[in-house]
Amino acid sequence: MAHTLDVLGLFDNEYRDDGFRTCSVTGLEVHRSVENHVKLFGLTAVVALLYGGIFAFTVAMTRWEVIGLLEPDAFYTHLSLHAWNLLIFWMVFTEIAILYVGGPMVLGRRLPLTRVAKAGWLVMVGGAVLVNYAIWTTEAPNEAPLLTAYVPMPVSPLFYAGACVFILGTVVAALPFFATMWYEKRENPGKTLPLVSFAAFVTSIIAVEALVGGLLAFGPALLWRLELIQWWDAAWYRQMYWIIGHGTQQINLVAMIAVWYFLTHVVAGAEVVSEKVSRTAFILYLFFINLGAAHHLLSDPAVSTGWRIWNTSYAFYGATFASLIHAFAIPAGIEAGRRKRGKGGGLFGWLTSAPWTNPVFSSTIFSIILFGFLGGITGVMMGQLQLNMTWHNTFATVGHFHGTVVLGTTVAFMGLIFFVIRTMFMRQYVSERLASIQPFFYSAAMGVAVLMMMYVGILYGIPRRTAEVVENIPGTEFSLSAASPLFAIFGIFALLAIAGGVLFVLVSVGSLVFGDRVENGDDNADLVADGGLGMAQDPDDPVHAYEMRGTFVLCLIFLAAFVITYLLNWYLLTQLWSIGA
Amino acid sequence: MTHSDADATASPLEFVSRILGQAWRDLLSVYYANTPIWRLLKSVGLLFFGFFCWSASNLVLSYGIDWTILRYTRSYGFVLILWGPLTHAVIVPLVIRLRRSAQTPTLRTIARQGSKINISIFLAIVLVLGTFPVGPMTLDFQTTLQGGSGSDVNPDLLCTRSDGEIHCHLSESEGIDHVVVTSGDREVERVDEPPFEFTIREDNLEEVVGQQEFVVELQDEGGDTIRRYRRYVSSIPET
Repeated sequence: MAHTLDVLGLFDNEYRDDGFRTCSVTGLEVHRSVENHVKLFGLTAVVALLYGGIFAFTVAMTRWEVIGLLEPDAFYTHLSLHAWNLLIFWMVFTEIAILYVGGPMVLGRRLPLTRVAKAGWLVMVGGAVLVNYAIWTTEAPNEAPLLTAYVPMPVSPLFYAGACVFILGTVVAALPFFATMWYEKRENPGKTLPLVSFAAFVTSIIAVEALVGGLLAFGPALLWRLELIQWWDAAWYRQMYWIIGHGTQQINLVAMIAVWYFLTHVVAGAEVVSEKVSRTAFILYLFFINLGAAHHLLSDPAVSTGWRIWNTSYAFYGATFASLIHAFAIPAGIEAGRRKRGKGGGLFGWLTSAPWTNPVFSSTIFSIILFGFLGGITGVMMGQLQLNMTWHNTFATVGHFHGTVVLGTTVAFMGLIFFVIRTMFMRQYVSERLASIQPFFYSAAMGVAVLMMMYVGILYGIPRRTAEVVENIPGTEFSLSAASPLFAIFGIFALLAIAGGVLFVLVSVGSLVFGDRVENGDDNADLVADGGLGMAQDPDDPVHAYEMRGTFVLCLIFLAAFVITYLLNWYLLTQLWSIGA
Repeated sequence: MTHSDADATASPLEFVSRILGQAWRDLLSVYYANTPIWRLLKSVGLLFFGFFCWSASNLVLSYGIDWTILRYTRSYGFVLILWGPLTHAVIVPLVIRLRRSAQTPTLRTIARQGSKINISIFLAIVLVLGTFPVGPMTLDFQTTLQGGSGSDVNPDLLCTRSDGEIHCHLSESEGIDHVVVTSGDREVERVDEPPFEFTIREDNLEEVVGQQEFVVELQDEGGDTIRRYRRYVSSIPET
């Protein structure tokens, strides 16, 4: 039966009388209420991706000064719209969908409090529209806020109001997930949550922490901007702001890793090598990941040296350790799972025989590799007190977070959207070939663009946030024109990456509108690699019975890259200070 | 005998040689792996690795560490950006195909020695470019640090206030064409002549979140902003 608000037949799957259906790919019992809300939030996320992606073009073509598209004022407005729509709205709408998947869908429950979920969606959309309106209509004396609208910089009160509304909407939208967890534990007090649900739960706790921090930052800032209170402490604001400013990125990280575990299991037959170790890694995130926010304040006069050292040299490594555990556990799970089905074939045969033409798989793997090498390593670099001085506020910082939230989270979420199109919207891709190519094209182009951002930032000290630097900085002879060859590579690959993003939107939206309908389970059989785990000769064999030497070699390569990059960064720092000169 | 049994009875020398032998066979199997995904992974991996070697070597060289080896790692990285993808997307597949289908003696020789020829040409180019570097492979990191003609335009803006008026002047005026003072989105003063002193009235200024403020922009002949200062009235000392 079609849903009452059905559009283009997107909400009309066949459910049994009790509202459930059995997913032919995951084997999960999926209730209509969960599925429809996952679709609602997922579709909204793609709209935000499309809108924010338009500004990726104008921003990149301004920073590539050969084109020099926008004037400085317009550039900052476009940059703010790019950041808020991609870093916040695209991510957070997807993350609510992930909570609904990781909670009620994996647990085989219906979504409770559906009206609350819809109300949350409405409030989130209202907040997002308000933030966009406030940024787009910025006029003097207000400034476009980007993501660091530090008090006392004047920013439109509508922006603060929109941000508060969006945060409140997100908390409301998360309530059905928490209710699900409550019901689940009440009904099954001694039963452990599945790993993906556990990961989603950890994500949600970090999310609430971040969101409350956001309200504590934006709420008083709104009152100050409305002049209801006369003064607001800038140091307090920055501390609170970064709880959400970086905290939202930690939500992205943990949600992304939950997606990695989920999708590698479903489409590549990965097994979890050790549940306890993986769960411990998530617990480590819970305690330590938000300390990563400290790196934004390392050049800040308001915090003590002890605070900086604690946050960046000791506690922060708890989160790094957790990431390294996942970095080993996930490929090891894929290797062992595939070897179990006779898909080993030498050192890397398990990897190369994997379903690379399946965009869900390739997106997930590229997300893992590129997040690790480009986002993860650089995150540890710039999160360190000493090295931060060579990274802070340079374009390399922008490269780092494009390595994490674009090459990591966005690519993983694109894979998830591809998966949802086939398994929930029940549509075939409008073009199998284009869907297969998209993750390769986008990841490779974005990878080079990100690398160039890091190079021009760390090697030449190119600042972030400014519209022009290579031509010159007006009024000075401090020319950065030597960076222009690398900027040319950046510009070309940024254009290619944007084309890859456009391809994603075309394929995903095109598939929803024009894709053939998936009529039965056989139509989706190709999503599961080599017939699934059932194909193993002895499915009950413990996972440790299979070697993981390919993963070990990959980890050694990763370690080598880590060490070389680390040494190079320290070398740069010693040159900056002329130690021993 | 299982692998671990063999390890337990082998001498350290045999153990190391077996490990190295296995590593060499693994390396060869990766080099000759010829499925589309292997070709792509190797090509893109070498492209990234080439970028890394090229830029990192340039960087260290430009900071004055003139180790000869760095000239060759720079050259290696630079050539690898193109040669890595060329090798694994074109040459290795071609060699493998020729080994199956080559009819003439020349083609059979090329098929048998193709990879060695390819690596020899690659290494020869690396050696030549390492010894005689061409312009595009040399990134100049030091230009910005070795300038220093001292033509920065960065004067101090000094302001005082008394009787509802604010008086400002610049510590120097070289390199400035004119000065524009705005408050909110309104121009309140424009000064075209050095030494660019100006006086504005406090009640002429806009209030932003409870504070009266104004912005002073130093501009060049083309109207481009050289320096920008924002001042709050409350923070200007009274005389």
